Amino acid sequence: MKKASILALVVVPILLGSCIRTEEENTECDIEAVSLHLDTPSEFFYHDYDTIQTVISTDTDIVFTIRSYANVQRVPTTLRVTAGAAVYVITEDGTRTPFLNGSLVDYSNEQVHQFLVVSENKVWSRKYSISVVHDVPSEGNLSIGFENYYLDPSGKYYIWEAPDVFTDGTWKNGNPGFKISKSSAKPLDYPSTPVVGGGPDGSDCLKLETCDTGPFGRIVNMRLASGSMFNGVFDVGNALTDALKATQFGTPYLHKPIMMRVWLRFEPGSVFQDRNGNKVEGVIDEPDAYVVLYRNEDAEGKKVQLDGNDVLSSPYIVGLGRLPHNYNEDGSDKFSNNPIHGLTNEWKEVTIPVEYRAELNADELADKGYSLIIGFASSWGGAHFKGAIGSKFYIDNVQLFCE
Amino acid sequence: MKRIIYLTISLLFIALSVQAQEEDSFEKWGPTTGLKGGGFIARVGYVIGGTTPLPLPAEVRKINGFKPRGGISLGIDGYKMFTKRWGVSAGVHFFWEGFHTDADVKNYYVWLEQEGEITKGYFTGTNVTNTELWGVTLPLLATLRMSPRWNVSAGPYLSLYFGQTFSGEVYDNKDGVGYLREDTPVGTKILMTKENPTPYPDNFPDKMQPVALGIEIAFDWKAMKHLNVFGLLDWGMTDIWDRNFEAITFKMYPIYATLGVAYRY
Repeated sequence: MKKASILALVVVPILLGSCIRTEEENTECDIEAVSLHLDTPSEFFYHDYDTIQTVISTDTDIVFTIRSYANVQRVPTTLRVTAGAAVYVITEDGTRTPFLNGSLVDYSNEQVHQFLVVSENKVWSRKYSISVVHDVPSEGNLSIGFENYYLDPSGKYYIWEAPDVFTDGTWKNGNPGFKISKSSAKPLDYPSTPVVGGGPDGSDCLKLETCDTGPFGRIVNMRLASGSMFNGVFDVGNALTDALKATQFGTPYLHKPIMMRVWLRFEPGSVFQDRNGNKVEGVIDEPDAYVVLYRNEDAEGKKVQLDGNDVLSSPYIVGLGRLPHNYNEDGSDKFSNNPIHGLTNEWKEVTIPVEYRAELNADELADKGYSLIIGFASSWGGAHFKGAIGSKFYIDNVQLFCE
Repeated sequence: MKRIIYLTISLLFIALSVQAQEEDSFEKWGPTTGLKGGGFIARVGYVIGGTTPLPLPAEVRKINGFKPRGGISLGIDGYKMFTKRWGVSAGVHFFWEGFHTDADVKNYYVWLEQEGEITKGYFTGTNVTNTELWGVTLPLLATLRMSPRWNVSAGPYLSLYFGQTFSGEVYDNKDGVGYLREDTPVGTKILMTKENPTPYPDNFPDKMQPVALGIEIAFDWKAMKHLNVFGLLDWGMTDIWDRNFEAITFKMYPIYATLGVAYRY
């Protein structure tokens, strides 16, 4: 008995510590992926992989793009949702009908279907829309002024409208990632901001600024955020773990770009720092501006997606035009005290020709087998968190010329 | 550290077997004669335990690992018996205690504040916590002699912390699941991985209370004329965190047991 009482002194706290309570029901209610089941997907889609879309957590409007002449009707549709969540279709009169995976959904006439996903614990829900739209014919040449922008739903940062051919018609940048690290920042404190009347012609222009990410940025060793602007997808979910993967560059493009002409102005920040925040002597920060065309499907038909790791170095790149930089002999970036980009604090129109290293396949080009990237950054080492806080890169009147 | 436990338990068994051969009486095992009805006990012990919410919140799904840290207690108690069975004791115990734990959590609310910046939301994945405390505990106990050789004492204590550390990090669990839902369970899903774990801000120790109140229960067994074997439990009754600390939504209590030997005078 007495032995037992002493043992109990040790055992009781350990038992208490290991007393795991019953698991609570899931609170999340995401559509994680949507797939359409078609016997002959290539009749409808440019790529077979386009029949499946993984949905990032910030997206609620899921749009499939099919060939302009294709005609879809009722298509078996499968949603992958959070475990335990229930899915309902919301009809026009607002009634909810449970949705079963594999059910036929009528996508004719570009109908938009509303879905409601309710969490297992029935407390949380999210509304989604799914639709299939026809490809918009594009002329090729683009002219972009960064004049149309608005605040995101949280009211924290700006979003710019982009040409329709770009994913969901908006420009992408690192602002959603900056929001995670600097909750106190006002919309104009973000790395990518508009400047009212700041353009060379007096119109609104775009300002990219390399910003300090604050205490949380230091914790995760991502001490600065380069201002950025590109077409593609910014998957903020990866912003903390694998920032290079968060920037998914490019959208399929039917034309062969030959050059970009753009108005630029640049002011470097005073102190260049490395990833660990240490001052690097003898380096002046430089901006980046580029046009890339790359093959978006590999030999096995799998999707090729360039991200921060290989946006300028992938073997799938066929054409590349970039603001001049210094390079080491092995082709790696050479940070220098003698930049050759030729920009100053005065507006200047710059022409960036696209140089091709491979012949384009006309059939593949017509079949959206290539993706176009237009990208800008206020620090060209920003993807690796190198640069000078306070570097400012102003951009306006982007023109892309195609063959 | 485990060796100390084994040693203590072996001592206990040896002592128990010795006990069987002797005739006990309250007089024989009574307070030593140095002071009238009283004396001192100098204790050395191994401390094991943890700082934990009670009961464990449902957000904690699995404890993957637990390792004590530190684990030393040195103390001296003075005692005074008023009757054959009843007395009091008071003491000063210096301690260094702590632990490391690795737990899988689901929907664990986090609220992190650093220099005015706030990140908050619901984390699912692996949460690693390390804490160490050092300081002094001042118990004031009532003592009951249950038998000639067994004493049990219980009463309140006050702990003063000279130093505290509380650190940790979050990342994905063994199944590769690790993410924060920003603000609410339907907010932006931010992935976390072990390759690039997210540490707790370093201001957590600043948010810890410098004092704690609790209940101590001590069992003393008189193994030899001057040697006690003891086990005692310090059960904290006050939250280790400042009342206005929002990063951790539940109260956490230090619960530490000490096993050791004591010299009785």
